[in-house]
Amino acid sequence: MTALFVKADDFLRGRAPFDPTTAGRTHDLFLLVVVFGPVYGAIMGSYAVDSADRLLQVVFAASKVPLLLFTTSVICLPGFFVLNTVLGLRDDFSTTIRAIVAGQAALSIVLASLAPFTRFFYYSSNSYQNAILFNAFMFAIATAAGHMVMLRYYRILIRRNTKHRIGLYLWLGLYAFVGMQMGWTLRPFIGSPGSPIRFFRDEPFTNAYVVIFRLFAG
Amino acid sequence: MLNFFKKLDELLRGHRTSPDALLQGEIKLSLRAFVPMAVLLGATYGFFMGWYSIISRETPEYWQLLASIVKMPALFILTLIVTFPSLYVFNALVGCRLDFRGTLRLLVGAIVVNLAVAASLGPILAFFTVSTKSYAFMIVLNVLLLAIGGIVGLGFLLQTLRRLAMLGYHLARPVDSTDDQVTEKSINSNSDETGDHGQLPGPLDAALQDESSESYGKANSIFRVWVIIYSLVGVQMGWLLRPFIGDPDFEFQWFREREGNFFLGILGSLKELFQVGS
Repeated sequence: MTALFVKADDFLRGRAPFDPTTAGRTHDLFLLVVVFGPVYGAIMGSYAVDSADRLLQVVFAASKVPLLLFTTSVICLPGFFVLNTVLGLRDDFSTTIRAIVAGQAALSIVLASLAPFTRFFYYSSNSYQNAILFNAFMFAIATAAGHMVMLRYYRILIRRNTKHRIGLYLWLGLYAFVGMQMGWTLRPFIGSPGSPIRFFRDEPFTNAYVVIFRLFAG
Repeated sequence: MLNFFKKLDELLRGHRTSPDALLQGEIKLSLRAFVPMAVLLGATYGFFMGWYSIISRETPEYWQLLASIVKMPALFILTLIVTFPSLYVFNALVGCRLDFRGTLRLLVGAIVVNLAVAASLGPILAFFTVSTKSYAFMIVLNVLLLAIGGIVGLGFLLQTLRRLAMLGYHLARPVDSTDDQVTEKSINSNSDETGDHGQLPGPLDAALQDESSESYGKANSIFRVWVIIYSLVGVQMGWLLRPFIGDPDFEFQWFREREGNFFLGILGSLKELFQVGS
């Protein structure tokens, strides 16, 4: 357990074995996502826990944070891989993956550190709508932090070959496009009070973008 | 199978169209290997595209899945068959040094690159298919993903044509020892510059820095005419081969009645998606 915190600390400070300038292993970074992602997820899912049987919602929400990050990555990876290849960036691909997972590890750790705020907010507000907005805000902060860490790694790649900048934009574009829909599909994250405990909502899957278009178009 | 991926990988990495490889006189893309590859990659994309007809309907329409698998590669290959004679004649007219087989190989290579990128985006398409009811959204998404593949395929075609034109320019000059050295140097120094770590230039890199406006101009004009001919025919071919995705409100059919054209169709889908005026 202590070793894990040491690892997270080394990672945040960019020290070895997580130093972006040296080669390193990626699976430690996966571990950080798998451990710290669920911490925030569990707190997020604790909004409407008033009896023991609703604890299942907490477990679901905890598993959904790493699930959201990983499934989105897996769906985007084949395309990203081929696009990197045609850009001539294939030899750096393992470093590219490390940069991406590092961003997600940082996102997870920052989220976990924000978890007490979320619980505190739940205690002080009674509105489900506000809870959703607050969580979105926390995710936005963590995403920004994750992006900063990813850039630490990417900056070195870009220095090596400027076309990595195109690669970075491609990844961000693909990831945001798929991630948004993945987030929508994996609902409920928070679990509204009174609704039954489910991993997915009972209703059939819908498309987030179509919903948004409809909202704006009236 | 492994060999198949190795060949595809070499093409995507640009090894088969690197200046050094082209200097040996011909494009190393055997049609026997790369035409089936184009068919297979197109079928892969078509497979993901056809999912929609399985998921969106109350009774899954497997015929539509099969139709999508067949139609995607057919679209590209049939368009090539229709346009190839004119593409070749124009290319000969302008005086590119590609011979008949070389032209065909280059075009098949571009199609393979295009379809490989599209097929690699297939999982994204599959994910949205599973979670989307809207037929209009699926059309727009398919157009977007195929456009990404198309842009990469075109980039490959343009850069390879330019490389060929440059090499032709170098080869056409009178051969004396100094000139040969210049040629060698410009090719070698270039691979050092673009791939900072001594990597080979990718298939989309502007491989030769030493721009000669004359030969570049030739490559550009061939490219422009090819793109115009191929895309106009391709778009209309796509329109004739409809339905690719299969509107869930209609029964399955192999082909639709002939009506309208592609541009009106995509405009209609965008309108429906944004629900303009309804």
